[in-house]
Amino acid sequence: MLLPAGQRASGEWIDDILRARAEEKGLLARTPLAGEFPRQRVELVRGADPTAEVNRLYRYRGWTDGLPIVPPTLGRVEETLAQSPLERHVSLGEMEPLGGVATVEKVAANAVMAGCRPEYFPVVLAAVQAILDPAFNLRGVQTTDENVAPLLIVNGPAARRLDINAGWGALGPGWPANAAIGRAVRLVMTNLGGGWPGAVSFAGLGQPARYGLCLAEREDTPWPALHVELGYRPEQSTVTVLRAETVINVTGGLGELASVIGSAASLFGILHSGKAAVILSPFTARRLAGEGRTRADVRRELYTRGRLPAEVWRGSWIRAAVRATDWPEWATAAAETGSIPAVREPDDLTLIVAGADLPIPQHVYCPSWGYPPCRVTREIAAPPAGG
Amino acid sequence: MPTASLVCEGFRGQAATTAAGLGLPGLPTALVPGHVDVQSAEELRCNVTTVTVDAVIRNLTEAPPRAGAAVVEPAPGDIVFEGDLDEVNRFFYENDWSDGLPIVPPTPDRVREFLRFADRPAETELGVLLPDKRRATVWNVAVNGVLAGCRPEYMPILVALVEAMADPRYGVEHSGNTPGAETLIILNGPIIKELAFNYEQGALRDGIQANTTIGRFWRLYLRNVAGFLHHRTDKGTFGNTWRVVLAENEDALRRIGWTTIAEDEGVTGGSAVTISRYTGGGVIASVFGNAPDRMLSYLADAIVGKVGWELLFTVGMGAGSQRPLLILSPILAETLARGGLDKPALKRRLFELARVPAEKLERYIGEWTNLVPGQPTLHSLVKADQIPAVFAESEDPKRLVPIVCRPEDLMVAVSGDPLRTNAYAFAHNGILGYPTTKAIRLPAGWARLLREARAR
Repeated sequence: MLLPAGQRASGEWIDDILRARAEEKGLLARTPLAGEFPRQRVELVRGADPTAEVNRLYRYRGWTDGLPIVPPTLGRVEETLAQSPLERHVSLGEMEPLGGVATVEKVAANAVMAGCRPEYFPVVLAAVQAILDPAFNLRGVQTTDENVAPLLIVNGPAARRLDINAGWGALGPGWPANAAIGRAVRLVMTNLGGGWPGAVSFAGLGQPARYGLCLAEREDTPWPALHVELGYRPEQSTVTVLRAETVINVTGGLGELASVIGSAASLFGILHSGKAAVILSPFTARRLAGEGRTRADVRRELYTRGRLPAEVWRGSWIRAAVRATDWPEWATAAAETGSIPAVREPDDLTLIVAGADLPIPQHVYCPSWGYPPCRVTREIAAPPAGG
Repeated sequence: MPTASLVCEGFRGQAATTAAGLGLPGLPTALVPGHVDVQSAEELRCNVTTVTVDAVIRNLTEAPPRAGAAVVEPAPGDIVFEGDLDEVNRFFYENDWSDGLPIVPPTPDRVREFLRFADRPAETELGVLLPDKRRATVWNVAVNGVLAGCRPEYMPILVALVEAMADPRYGVEHSGNTPGAETLIILNGPIIKELAFNYEQGALRDGIQANTTIGRFWRLYLRNVAGFLHHRTDKGTFGNTWRVVLAENEDALRRIGWTTIAEDEGVTGGSAVTISRYTGGGVIASVFGNAPDRMLSYLADAIVGKVGWELLFTVGMGAGSQRPLLILSPILAETLARGGLDKPALKRRLFELARVPAEKLERYIGEWTNLVPGQPTLHSLVKADQIPAVFAESEDPKRLVPIVCRPEDLMVAVSGDPLRTNAYAFAHNGILGYPTTKAIRLPAGWARLLREARAR
């Protein structure tokens, strides 16, 4: 078994810090074996049922999300590493907040645990590279008392090749790639960054998206795909990562969607000029495109119509808690006109098309949390030749 | 006190691990993108102003990350694994405790047997080794000796080697430096024959248990105790396989009245190890001639040929720390001795003959490298009393100057096929570590223990 836990560049294991924090917070009942493992690269687990034993050990050491994991055996990790052009010892960066080094091998071990098939690994690596971008503010995401989760959007041929669901039930459950890739990123955050709930991560409630939030954009979108819009070629594959404060379902037309965008606009998003995400139903997208409207037109309409009444903002607790001068000028100026858009400008709405093609269309709105404004895209490395 | 340490991109990992080893975990570092050696002044300025300066400001103004708990490692007597031979090998390899060749499992019985051959108790500390700052003890010497495939009776040599490794003169912390030099162990004394070392044909080739396994032990000890690991603490650009132990042919030395390497380095009587770090070397084939005058020019030319950038250690960085090694086969040493040369005389002759044009030496410390600040001339270094006057005997840029500061800086050993007229020259990695010699201390009852060992 490979040990999936975070080790700092200087050699210390972050689990020693986590154990101390868990002890302080009275959380050791969840992880009674925190920090208790051989300080090695690999460990041998024997017994009548080694898979069960690995699960018991890893759960009590704090290395799971509560669900059973696939034991990261050397063989499985090797198979996974074979899907990456990067050498196992390469560091993608140090994971905030506790600074475990995200080596390719450590990420692979966590991907195996999450249930990733080897061929998913390049997507996991790209997503981990994205959350390590300073713009993602991983330290903030890991430690805030808000419930923010990474939203992963996959575009390009990899989405099809790996069967990353963009249609029926794209946000789950039921599709292994969506579930495992999203979960791998969470395990990496937990085990290499140290985002243990209650001990380091202070998200008050958490949310199901913290198990994993990963989908692809539909290939049959009537508009150029998101990654093409962002400047990539269609044959490239990408993962785009945003900070999603929550995932809100909206059933109806553009009007209902705009209404929810306005009323559910995150005040944190406004405070920090954040970038929100909209998942538009294919039915609606086709209808709008049929009317000659581009993706930019739709974003502009949602921006124009999705407004928070200024009096709601003025009466909010956060308006009182934050100095008036800390609010961005675009928001205070808009408040003077009676309402505030959910984002600074239309382009700050990341709009993709996904979900089932239903005549009673369903959309999703993901307000953003935190700073700086964030939409990070990384290319997914092509699978190895013959792979 | 807030600090910022500037680190080139490729060295960040080494900086973090080495800082921790030095007791400064979480030492704030500021990145310099790429490597300064290949950047123009403009590129360097741009990199520093756009990346490094910000990092320096953060280093100096933000609280450094809190250090975590020290890494807890197994205690000396702990059983870390139980399994069959294949499993043990896989387990040790995957945990970075082996070099990829099969190891001998260090069972308590095997370790105990090694400890019988130590002159000190198992818990005796022999030093503290960087970069991991681990304690070198007689116990972990024995464990790594078992791993390497040594026999228990090699233990006194292994202990002496680790004492040498821990000697600050040797500078073990430099063992991961980028030129990737590799240590050569030279063995002297009665123990050569007692433990059946090879000192004749194929003296530097693997295949003889004592020479081979002790060479392997050295590298395993650097790995497991000092803590040099690929892609982490080790920064050797290419590196080199560990070298087998070079044992001198002391019969030949005695016949011609020459001193041994250990004696040259000041350790007389008994047996001794000498360690030194060489970036490379090579054979000097078919030395021809029946008298010194016919042979010495060729030998001197070959020594010069093996020493290139290492000339920095003669007159630039760490002036005077360059110690090339010449190994003569016995027949060559005997021919030179018959021609009237004792070892000091031989070194004086080689000092006269192994020379390079002054302008070339100045290029090594100026035009071709940035390792010597200020682009000094040989004249300026002589004037500053940093090197001997022999380097500035005229203004002629084509005058010939020596490759070491003093004749005795050249080391000469005798080993190899007794009747073949070949020699070998090694280029020394100068200031990073000086040749270090340690006497080998034998346990009480050595003769009896040795008899028992041979009877096994």
